[in-house]
Amino acid sequence: MVVLMKLLTVTLLGYALLAAQGDGGRKPDRVISIAAERFAFNPSKITLKQGDLVEFVLTSDDTDHGFRIPSAGIDLAIPPQSRGEARVRFIAKEKGEFAFECSRPCGAGHNLMRGIIEVK
Amino acid sequence: MKLLDPSFTPPAGQILAQRVQELEAKLDALLASRGAASPLAATPDSTAPTSTPPSQASGPAAASPPLQAVSITGDFQTAPDTETRLPVTGYMDFHVNKDSGDAFRPDFHRFVLLFGHSFSSRIKFWSELEVEHALVEGGEESGEIAIEQAYLDFLITPKFNLRAGMLLTPVGIVNERHEPPSFNGVERPFVESVIIPTTWRELGLGLTGDLGRGFRYRTYLTSALDASRFNAESGIAEGKSSGFDANMRNPATVARLEFAGVRRLTLGASLYSGLAGSQTPTVNPRVTIANVDGRYSFRRFDVRALYAHTWISRAGELNRLMRQQTGVNPNVASRMRGYYVEPAVHLLPRRLRHDLIAFSRYERYNTQQKMPDGFLPLAQFNRSSWVTGLTYKPVPDVAVKFDYVFNQNQSAVLRALNGINLGIGWWF
Repeated sequence: MVVLMKLLTVTLLGYALLAAQGDGGRKPDRVISIAAERFAFNPSKITLKQGDLVEFVLTSDDTDHGFRIPSAGIDLAIPPQSRGEARVRFIAKEKGEFAFECSRPCGAGHNLMRGIIEVK
Repeated sequence: MKLLDPSFTPPAGQILAQRVQELEAKLDALLASRGAASPLAATPDSTAPTSTPPSQASGPAAASPPLQAVSITGDFQTAPDTETRLPVTGYMDFHVNKDSGDAFRPDFHRFVLLFGHSFSSRIKFWSELEVEHALVEGGEESGEIAIEQAYLDFLITPKFNLRAGMLLTPVGIVNERHEPPSFNGVERPFVESVIIPTTWRELGLGLTGDLGRGFRYRTYLTSALDASRFNAESGIAEGKSSGFDANMRNPATVARLEFAGVRRLTLGASLYSGLAGSQTPTVNPRVTIANVDGRYSFRRFDVRALYAHTWISRAGELNRLMRQQTGVNPNVASRMRGYYVEPAVHLLPRRLRHDLIAFSRYERYNTQQKMPDGFLPLAQFNRSSWVTGLTYKPVPDVAVKFDYVFNQNQSAVLRALNGINLGIGWWF
């Protein structure tokens, strides 16, 4: 019985890890470019379908900005203009509205540098 | 077990043990390969950074967020040659100015530190503390130390948020967006110094929000201007309270609507209206300012333009009152106007990491566009300027600037002085 339980646990863990690895290799359903500039993201509202694997391609038109999605625990720096891009992939698992915001202080309008991901 | 795996058949004990060993080995290999992907804070692989997002890596509590992070790649991580971040941000502005016939005048114009704090995801503080001209001494005419902004944001919904404190008046381009690398020219545009008195901040409260489709707004009730300090040369600029001894008896209203729904295009319109007679009780003039502006970048070309118009009611009565009180007629106009257009081109190819921008700005501004009955305009206040120069950015947040200013006015007697400006400004 113990052996069976051990086998079950290992099998389930293995499946879970393989599934997670599989999402990383899956082609995104949507690739969305987001430009950051003092003090706005463009676009600032993004509509997704539930279950989509989405990739954001993040660039800056001026200084370096941050990109944080609190609901996903994502927080990364967007490099400054002409210094490359950041890409983040995630799965829109649940319906709802989820805020994203600049997490790197960038000037007078920093607090309002925000946007919304709407999952339908 | 059939429900979990249709191919499952109960094995004999020996086969079972062997299979468990194989699966454990696979699991170990998988865990090892996942462990190799470094977390965000780990030392980066600068060639192809890939990271497991924290929500995915941090245990059962974070295992099922509504947006499940899968991977983060690109240039997001800190490479060895990039800068070190300080816990505060700020900007600095060092200028050397020379008017024709004068000596070069170095000036550490602005030393600004910005502090912010998030009390929660919905309550945020932001502030800007400025020292101008490097030295502040009591009672002497030197620099100034000032709070440029200090406010709390209460974030409620994307369309509707509250803001209160010391606020930048949302008029024009530069007033709210004045970090040195974000504009060309050593000094700010004349129109945005005289017709729109940057840096214009007042005490107040109001609403902010993103209306969707690229539209966003800010609308505030703020402390009023003080008409007793208006004058012919700088218009309403001396009348801003900057939060000191401010008057909220008749709060001014200001609103700005911006469209930023197309990448690299920002269009804005502002309207300000307020009574300014707190220090002139018998005359309570209303100041109204309307402004439209825009910025656009296309490939290696940028252009920005702004138009601003100011109306002051009861300007004649204000002039007569001030002449009675002080003996000097301030000759305040009933209408002021200014506009500028600034095309610019990025001279270096995009693949180079340095940026060199050549720009030319034409400005026309008149603080005596229309005078009240009984008062005459002075021609020296009907002015225009060509500002031509270069901005070199070795990195996006450092701007080395040079420009030449051709000033003109309509006076046959008082000649406007031209000038050369050099400057270094940086944001960190």
